[in-house]
Amino acid sequence: MSLIEIPVGPQHPALHEPILLRVRADGERVVGIQVVTGYNHRGVEKLGERSTWSKDVFLYSRICGICNTVHAQTYTQGVEAIGGIEVPPRAQYLRTLVMELERIHSHILICAVMAEVVGFDSLFMLMMRDREPVMMLKELVTGNRVIADYYVLGGVRRDLDEVKKDKILKVLEGVEARVKYYKKIFMEDYTITKRLLGVGVIKPSEAVAYSLVGPTLRGSGVKSDVRADDPYAAYGEIPFNVVTYSDGDSLSRMLVRLDETLESIEMIRYIIKHLPEGPIAPKTPIRTLHEGEAFSRVEAPRGELIYHIVSKGGDKPYRVKVRTPSFNNIINGVIAYRDARIADVPVILTSFDPCISCTERILVIDERNGSTKVLSLKDLSRWGK
Amino acid sequence: MSKAVEFLRSLGLTCKEVKQARRYVFEVSPDKLRVVVTGLIKLNLNIYSSTISVVDYINEGVIEVNYCLWVIDEKLMIVLRVRVPRDSPKVPTIHDIIPGALNGELEAYDLFGVVFEGNDKLRRGFLVPLDIANQGVFPLRKDFKV
Amino acid sequence: MGLKLLTEVLSNVFKRASTIEYPKQPSLALKEHRGQQYADLSKCVGCSLCAVECPSNAITMASLPVKLKHNPRSIYPVIDYGKCIFCYRCVDVCPVKAYVITNYFEIASDRPGNSSELSLNTIPK
Repeated sequence: MSLIEIPVGPQHPALHEPILLRVRADGERVVGIQVVTGYNHRGVEKLGERSTWSKDVFLYSRICGICNTVHAQTYTQGVEAIGGIEVPPRAQYLRTLVMELERIHSHILICAVMAEVVGFDSLFMLMMRDREPVMMLKELVTGNRVIADYYVLGGVRRDLDEVKKDKILKVLEGVEARVKYYKKIFMEDYTITKRLLGVGVIKPSEAVAYSLVGPTLRGSGVKSDVRADDPYAAYGEIPFNVVTYSDGDSLSRMLVRLDETLESIEMIRYIIKHLPEGPIAPKTPIRTLHEGEAFSRVEAPRGELIYHIVSKGGDKPYRVKVRTPSFNNIINGVIAYRDARIADVPVILTSFDPCISCTERILVIDERNGSTKVLSLKDLSRWGK
Repeated sequence: MSKAVEFLRSLGLTCKEVKQARRYVFEVSPDKLRVVVTGLIKLNLNIYSSTISVVDYINEGVIEVNYCLWVIDEKLMIVLRVRVPRDSPKVPTIHDIIPGALNGELEAYDLFGVVFEGNDKLRRGFLVPLDIANQGVFPLRKDFKV
Repeated sequence: MGLKLLTEVLSNVFKRASTIEYPKQPSLALKEHRGQQYADLSKCVGCSLCAVECPSNAITMASLPVKLKHNPRSIYPVIDYGKCIFCYRCVDVCPVKAYVITNYFEIASDRPGNSSELSLNTIPK
């Protein structure tokens, strides 16, 4: 039986970002998949070694647009761990507030994109409309809808007054009602369940072995959340539930996100009620650090984000290693496409919430019996080896 | 006391002090790495490979490979630190023991030239554009000039 | 099942559109928005700290056409808006709070733009 290779991407495979899925199909059934990225390598890690500690906050928050505050959080908390810098409690709470706002709009976005991928455009439009107030809240608190630039080493840059607090609570009330409604639609609607239920199943043991992180891991029933397991910022003091769904299919991964959005709204209410008084940033700016290293972990909307920061003293970092959640989920997530149908490929990719700008670039081959020959021929032509 | 840390101590490995909580850094020699990782997996804990972080210490002539493993059940991070000479950085692969380490190994090979022996999927040009990769240089090494 | 969303969609037909006709109708940025910023030369002392601290190296120090008493080196910062990432680092580090901040965001243009004209207009007569 001959296999057919179908390229999905690199223009708009499921999201408007460059990634290529080379799908090898036997009829309708997927027998092997090859993830090709590498369309957008930017060398951010190298660039960071040439800049100073304080300027790098702005550089690393630009690795990804959607999850920029978590990148800034991971970087600053790593640097603060090396330097032994105390962050005032009010700043910790404000950081948590902004990160949760980001999680809300990120989760609503990917659920909307999922609706679009399955061909449910009216739901996509409605969800994007209802995401807009959250973006407005982010602009209100930080000064920009997307790139927040809210962090400095040792604190945050803007304070929150009573007027803004009231505005946040009022807007979130509306958002909560809408998210509850969308959760109901995702659970009950015929179009959605037909396309997502039982598609791209990952068993819990596989999810752990293949190092999947975030909602993808929790969608397989593994209770692992950096916010709860390895508390940072103010998460140690804020009560919340770690959401897990045990089915491991695309629908559970989306439901984890919708439930987390509701959890985040509750957390923001708690933060606003219990916001401690005090300063928000250190009086003297931090410019130099002593020798040391830190492994800094944060739960980004897409999963565990980890930075390994090495300092050799002075005003520049020696090495900053960035590993983003999508790097694990996209590359190692190839197991989920096993025996899927061609039409399910974009659905499974979207259910990982892939962020290509985070992943930057890589190519991987999933070996399947019977397809080895096709593969090596392709390699020959592509890599000239 | 955690099972994983106790196991590593029983192998005679010493834990390096780190300022952060829940981080345990162990220095491992390259030839013992596979034994250590296999032993860790056999403990029946949920362990995933968080990342493989490579640091180039050009003045010491050493490349340091940090295997960051997160133990879900015990809520701690185990960092296995392997130091190899800079001119021939070779470590055994662990991607057959932990499949999730594959992406980290591919990335480390392409950007730093660390050879993971036994991993037949390594190739240049995953992350680096091919014109640069074909020159045989590794962009994140310290002697690479931008 | 699907009918639930249908009622929602139908009710939206009779509502006002939630998008705006952008160039005809102004798109509103909040007053908190980080928009175009420039140095107020009646305050700037020409210390160059903003140029040093700029993460994207968008600020260069240019020489002043007139002599100002409070600016002994006679230089002032010019922001290249093509390079600027609007992080407001310059606004934060300025020791004399010389930067004027606005929420104006429609700077996109086919010509390279910088802040020199805006800044020079602030020279005290």
